[in-house]
Amino acid sequence: MTAEEILQQIRARFGSEIRTSEVRRGEATLTIKADQNFEICRFIKEELGLEYLNCLSGVDWVGENEMEVAYAISSLRQPGKIILRARVPRDEPVLRSVVPLWGTANWHEREAFDLLGIRFENHPDLRRILLPEDWIGHPLRKDYQDERFVPYPWDDRKPGTVVRPTTA
Amino acid sequence: MTTVNLHLQQVKEQTAESMEEMWVNMGPQHPSTHGVLRLLIKLDGEVVRECIPYMGYMHRCHEKIGENRAYVQIIPYTDRLDYLASMYNNWAYCLACERLMGIQIPERAEYLRVLIGELQRIASHLIWLGTFGLDLGNFTLFMWCFREREMILDLFEAVSGQRLNYSFMRIGGLALDVPEGWLGDVKAFLQWFKPRLPEYDRLSTDNIIWQKRIQGVGILTPEDAVSYACSGPVLRGSGIRWDLRKNDPYGIYDRFEFDIPVGTSGDVWDRFWVRRQEMDQSVRIVEQALTEIPPGPVLAPVAKKLRAPVGDIYSRVESPRGELGDYIVADGSEKPYRYKVRAPTFVNLSALPVMLPGYLVADAVAVLGSVDIVLCEVDR
Repeated sequence: MTAEEILQQIRARFGSEIRTSEVRRGEATLTIKADQNFEICRFIKEELGLEYLNCLSGVDWVGENEMEVAYAISSLRQPGKIILRARVPRDEPVLRSVVPLWGTANWHEREAFDLLGIRFENHPDLRRILLPEDWIGHPLRKDYQDERFVPYPWDDRKPGTVVRPTTA
Repeated sequence: MTTVNLHLQQVKEQTAESMEEMWVNMGPQHPSTHGVLRLLIKLDGEVVRECIPYMGYMHRCHEKIGENRAYVQIIPYTDRLDYLASMYNNWAYCLACERLMGIQIPERAEYLRVLIGELQRIASHLIWLGTFGLDLGNFTLFMWCFREREMILDLFEAVSGQRLNYSFMRIGGLALDVPEGWLGDVKAFLQWFKPRLPEYDRLSTDNIIWQKRIQGVGILTPEDAVSYACSGPVLRGSGIRWDLRKNDPYGIYDRFEFDIPVGTSGDVWDRFWVRRQEMDQSVRIVEQALTEIPPGPVLAPVAKKLRAPVGDIYSRVESPRGELGDYIVADGSEKPYRYKVRAPTFVNLSALPVMLPGYLVADAVAVLGSVDIVLCEVDR
């Protein structure tokens, strides 16, 4: 299935849920509203036949006050690939868990919870995975502060475009 | 029914009625965890009922460090992920950046990357075979494998000056060309190494103790392997013919002839046998690369300060342990906005709680060993 066909089928089914979609380097990429993430993932897995969840990563878009979960999904039987990005508000970052679809999502979602504070509904065991249980805060958030953390001294980004981590 | 199975059956029947279940810690400091991993195991007599892994003892937030470094500066940090296959970590990261920035690398660099990558795969599988033999009490195999691995480390030391954390690849190619006569050294190494493979077989494959110890243990079904997104020898051991070098070729892998060994039943034996045969295939690839390698530059002309265009990419390679992916989100500046490593062992390890239950606690070491974990990569 080519990237265009994948996008067409998802558009036909979930047209109103899609924010942006494009084909880049032969891969379908898609940004959706978060409340339908589970249904779209199930559609991709069961009806489009992309059954392999490569990677799940959280991204903190602090400038837009949003959190993002990016699913990289592909298949072991066909060449199709898709990157699905679901956006949630930053002050209430809650999505439905995709563990019922993919066992591998369990640890990836725990990691996103641990490092970015994104919560996943219906997750069987949402605990910290890499950091100690009593750790405070979520280090991969862009506004995470820790006195031991010293960012690299130079930064030539234009002010206002991206907020980078600050020291305490 | 063999003696072992009969014994297992007896243990199962006996424990079901008469013994209480008990939680036991394996690790964090345990020789067979190859690092610092804690497994909380629920035992029913001798049989494992449940397994909960705890990791993060070596967590250093690699991804946070990456977000605060320029693209080129991240390369040395990638060495420390999977320190047994540093060259492959360099390659995965550089390839992701090259795809993101649209950089073409010179032909000679492509060949050298394949050549070095496959030598690295042999070295990594050798250390796996050796330590796996050690886990099972086969000390001679450990010594023999480390002897040949040492030779590969010497070859890598000659090109990069380092024995473990090479930082040899660059975005756009390689840091340096290989020294004069180095390709001849690789040829000499292969000549020495090829007759050694049957010697390992004598100690492992043809060894009846070895066979009895790992056959029929730690079975991972193909359905579970896909659901848990296992990759590399763990996935192929379960009988799924999937190798990114063939199925989604990167670099110039589409120019080489090699086979993908697969297992049949998904037990520890299959995972061992796949890795063992992959060494043969890597030798084949290195030999082809040696004959075809062209002269020329090894580094594309790239800017000193690299900037990636706005966008994101998920790029993956077949590292010795499986699919090593980098998810990079770029915001147009000199540093990645988000940099996530999809570590193959982190994902493969997540299938361990499915593999262990139902087998004897003595087999836990063999099953864990067969996943081939590197804790620095799991914890990141």
